[in-house]
Amino acid sequence: MSAGRSVAFAGIARSFGAVQALRPTDLAVAAGEFLTLLGPSGSGKTTLLNIAAGYIAPSAGRVLIDGRDVTALPARQRNIGMVFQNYALFPHLTVAGNVAYGLKARGRPADEIARRIGDALALVQLDGLGERAISALSGGQQQRVALARALVIEPDVLLMDEPLGALDRQLRKHVQLEIRRLHREHGRTTIYVTHDQEEALVMSDRIGVMRDGRIAQLGTARELYENPIDSFVASFLGESNLLDGRLISVNHGRARLDVPGLGVVEGVAADGLEGMSDVAALVRPEDVAVEPARGGWPARIEEVVYLGDLTALKVRLANGQDIWCRRHARLGVPAGAVTIGWEAAAIRILPRSQPTKTEERTP
Amino acid sequence: MIVTRSLIHGLASAVLAFLVLPILAVLPASFNRASFIRLPPTEYSLRWYERFFQDREWLTSLATSTKVALLTALIALALGTAAAIGLERLRGRLRGVLTGLFLAPMIVPVVVTAVALYYVIRPMGLSGTVLGLALGHAVLALPFVIINVGVSLRTLDPALLRAADGLGASPARVFLTITLPIILPGLIGGAVFALITSFDELVVAIFLSGIQAKTLPVKIWEVIRLEFTPVVAVASTVLIAITVALFGAARTLGPRERSRP
Amino acid sequence: MSLTARGHLATALLLLPALLFIAVWFVTPLAQLFQLSVSDKAGPFAPYAQLLGSEVYRRVFVNTLWLALTVTAISILLAYPTAYVLTRLKGWWWTLAFYCVLFPFWISVLIRTFAWMLLLEKNGPINRVLLELGAIDRPLELLFNAGSVHIGMVHVLLPYAVLPIYAAMIRVDHRLLLASDGLGAAPLMTFLRIYLPLTMPGVTAAAVFVFLLALGFFITPALLGGVSAITVAMLIEQLVNERLVWSLAGAASFILLAVIFALLALAARFVPLGQALVAR
Repeated sequence: MSAGRSVAFAGIARSFGAVQALRPTDLAVAAGEFLTLLGPSGSGKTTLLNIAAGYIAPSAGRVLIDGRDVTALPARQRNIGMVFQNYALFPHLTVAGNVAYGLKARGRPADEIARRIGDALALVQLDGLGERAISALSGGQQQRVALARALVIEPDVLLMDEPLGALDRQLRKHVQLEIRRLHREHGRTTIYVTHDQEEALVMSDRIGVMRDGRIAQLGTARELYENPIDSFVASFLGESNLLDGRLISVNHGRARLDVPGLGVVEGVAADGLEGMSDVAALVRPEDVAVEPARGGWPARIEEVVYLGDLTALKVRLANGQDIWCRRHARLGVPAGAVTIGWEAAAIRILPRSQPTKTEERTP
Repeated sequence: MIVTRSLIHGLASAVLAFLVLPILAVLPASFNRASFIRLPPTEYSLRWYERFFQDREWLTSLATSTKVALLTALIALALGTAAAIGLERLRGRLRGVLTGLFLAPMIVPVVVTAVALYYVIRPMGLSGTVLGLALGHAVLALPFVIINVGVSLRTLDPALLRAADGLGASPARVFLTITLPIILPGLIGGAVFALITSFDELVVAIFLSGIQAKTLPVKIWEVIRLEFTPVVAVASTVLIAITVALFGAARTLGPRERSRP
Repeated sequence: MSLTARGHLATALLLLPALLFIAVWFVTPLAQLFQLSVSDKAGPFAPYAQLLGSEVYRRVFVNTLWLALTVTAISILLAYPTAYVLTRLKGWWWTLAFYCVLFPFWISVLIRTFAWMLLLEKNGPINRVLLELGAIDRPLELLFNAGSVHIGMVHVLLPYAVLPIYAAMIRVDHRLLLASDGLGAAPLMTFLRIYLPLTMPGVTAAAVFVFLLALGFFITPALLGGVSAITVAMLIEQLVNERLVWSLAGAASFILLAVIFALLALAARFVPLGQALVAR
């Protein structure tokens, strides 16, 4: 079943005074899709979400829901369901009063409202708590009321603005899976904003990584992880080691770069690498093999972190750079001087992205 | 050290007593039996209360004061609430300028406001009317309403309004179901401020009162300057009682007392 | 219409009624009064010249300024220790003391003044107690002089002085005083070098408020004062109600306003008055 509607942004841009919060952006979200906008604070993801909701008017461009231009419509006429960062639950209303709000605004008959409140609360597993005051609920329960309130109006699009930010880690993991289950059940088009890569990986059909007011890369979690277009996307999604160097050659999809103090590193070339000079080799921690001293890059183990199933090792290379690697805990930790190595096919050579304004702002 | 401390505490206690006790002197004065005020009274009676509540002039002025106060509160509350919400939506310089303009009647001496109002209201035939008095008092009460409502508006999370909007509620519905219930304490506080401002006010009332409409404070003022009759003490006690009742209402219904530091 | 334009329109519509009201019943009357004061037959600034040129009127202005100044000084001196004690009280005692400060705020100035008339009267309780104690052998003239005006005005204005000073005092971090103590400073030095400077903004705000309010006082000096020492506010009232010279009343009003706004502008450079005003 798919109760969702498609959403399209065409040339959407927004500036606040001299600050360009969102550069002209095109994005099509398919009906029923779960799309996550992932990025650091100030990257424009919340602005884009608020433009979809109708809370912020774009400086340029159009928003289409199910092919219909809604750019000039206020939020109340867009039939959207929004879940706010701190839930924005009405403090003077009960749980049921909050969930009923959108239905009353639509003038539904009382018996229908009562029935749908019951269904919505059952969906988020809050049956029987309808008469509770909002202040009497735990953070996790409040989060679910916010979700029920947004879903009960059967919105064309569900919009979620960092909805799990206020929950503790344990609860967050649980609710992530819960949201994924709910999405499978209701099948509504969902745009989800977060700065937490783990959330993005667990829930999304596609992820848009945002940076400096634009979508840097859009794709499935696997595409972004395995084939990031540059070092920013690579470092934002998953653990990564980046070896900076100068590009030597690109040949048949293979690239070689010279890492100062280390030597030549070879790997799979990202698109559009030709003609570039400043590049980086992306080495994922799980692709690094750590051996007792043999052939390979000589290195020294600096730190060992036991993670339960895995052990994380920090090793220092000859040029002084540290690299994190991970291996099964039961493999044990080699002692003394080691060498590290990797399959060239597992390494990606990427354009190096300049530090962003947002990165400078966040210490 | 201990001497200094007890000196300071003694002084502060004396100051606090100085603030409250003289006001309370009016109460026993109103229970005098004699036809002049003697403090403390040699004989107590309710004689002058009977006189007050049987005197048409006193009762009329009490009724006028009540009408003026209610009309004042109505005007100030309606205009002030809308203005406070409007101010909250503004940013930057304009907000500062308009806030300054709205609060200006608190800074301009009341006698100046009163003379200016009298000057324009007299030719309109509004002098000596309940409406004229209420207009004047509303000018003085408006800043209090704007401040009170403004304070409670700042406790209103703007995300709540966006949430209600997103759920399909019209602006009027958002106001009635979200904004109004949440700022209600501020509205009640503002209303009580406006009522008390009007009930207590004398200077504007001196200028704008006439034979047709004379407020209770003006009547008290006129009598005080002639004689020291216990009826004035009764009228004052009535005014204190009204104020304290409104004050109590504001404390129970209004914004919570600022918590102890 | 775009979302933004709609928002601006709503804001304008919300502000408009109150703006119109203030324009019609506050700004326009003041403007007309000003117009009147500068359009005298004898020349544009004749009323001002007449007020400032005459010995009698000049004395009224000087009297008013001097009265406001002395009342302010007394109020601040009494308010400072009172506000300090308020910051040291807890629980029930604090509530009681705080209500003692707030209660007079809500009672009409007229009634508060009337109460002092009862107390200071020739046959009033104060004179009688003194007579019975044998401290005096005939009643003192306590009413209708500078003393009674000062008592009445300090009584009305004292809460305006206590609250800003109290607000400044509760913001002082008490660890600073402990630190000064720990560094070997005597209590007097800690007070003069740490506490007083930190609470000075509250004192300045309090002094400005009390002084500005005192400048426009009418009821209390009219009832408690003698006939010889009148204030500008009383003069304005007399000019309008008894002598019917509106142009002089207008000129006196605007001289008073000019002094007040000059002082406010000056004070605004030292203390954030807006905050203190709203905190009330």
